[in-house]
Amino acid sequence: MNSTPNAQRPTLNVELATAAPASNIKNRTANIIWRILDFVLAGIFIFAGLSKILDLDHLMADLQNLQFANALTDLRNLSLANPVEFASGVDNFKLLPWPMSVALAFYLPWLEIACALGLVFRFLYRGALALLITLIVVFTLAITAAKLRGLDITCGCFGHVSQNWSFPSHLATNLAILAALLALGISNRLRKPL
Amino acid sequence: MKFLLARQAAVLAAVALLPAAGEAIYFRNNISWRSAIAPSEMVTVDQARAWGDTAIWVDARPDDEFARDHVPGALSLNEDRWNELLPQFLAVWSPGKKIVVYCSSLSCNASREVARRLRKEAQLSEVFVLEGGWEAWLKKSR
Repeated sequence: MNSTPNAQRPTLNVELATAAPASNIKNRTANIIWRILDFVLAGIFIFAGLSKILDLDHLMADLQNLQFANALTDLRNLSLANPVEFASGVDNFKLLPWPMSVALAFYLPWLEIACALGLVFRFLYRGALALLITLIVVFTLAITAAKLRGLDITCGCFGHVSQNWSFPSHLATNLAILAALLALGISNRLRKPL
Repeated sequence: MKFLLARQAAVLAAVALLPAAGEAIYFRNNISWRSAIAPSEMVTVDQARAWGDTAIWVDARPDDEFARDHVPGALSLNEDRWNELLPQFLAVWSPGKKIVVYCSSLSCNASREVARRLRKEAQLSEVFVLEGGWEAWLKKSR
């Protein structure tokens, strides 16, 4: 009776010894993929924030035309964007009074950047994810409500880059970002640290 | 767990407040918290009247409201018939003239939009929005 468990123990150890590194590699690969997604989403929100704070028009135009030398010059001469434009963009949704639109025009870009940095440095990570999910849900509801009310809105969500986006492409982008954020939120509860 | 999440979110929200407040202070003269027009782009009825013949008055209200009554000598230029009315306005405008755009009241957006388009599309610089619009003009004219 006693011999059976004793005989099984070495077999189990061998199995564990071979299975453990394989499981570690799998975890590491998964963690690296999630970290890449962290960086991609952080990049999107940092760009969204900066495009409202800084005047990136010339820089973006030069990058689109592959004029990197000019882009470097623009990078050195970056100036602050006029917040009136983004405040007017928020005001165009006709959901908030003007003073609230101004307050959001000053506040939202920095909140996006702060949350994005939270994703990059894994600092206040869960709070950053929760805030970004809330923001993207609110943005999506706002553009949908505007569309349903027949408002012709040029959203300043990504500065001038998103000025000519159609409603379906806007909605698709927001939903893709939301799905990625939710995936990060779920994976964060399951994953082991690197 | 939920408390931790809320606390983290609150910390981030507070962190973002600091640079936002700094930016608001930096741009305090460029943006008005009361209306969508910068203080430097607004003009009161008294100021605009003082400009006399150097100012062109532009009525941004719909055609029927313009037809009912308007500031003496004002030209109609609204967004409904923008392409048709803009050339008529430009024919009257001359360099050095100030443009005063008005709509019905303090809360209307038409004057703001027409002023913005005149600056952007017609490349005109001295474009001002009348504070209080047509209502303010009527009050001062009584």
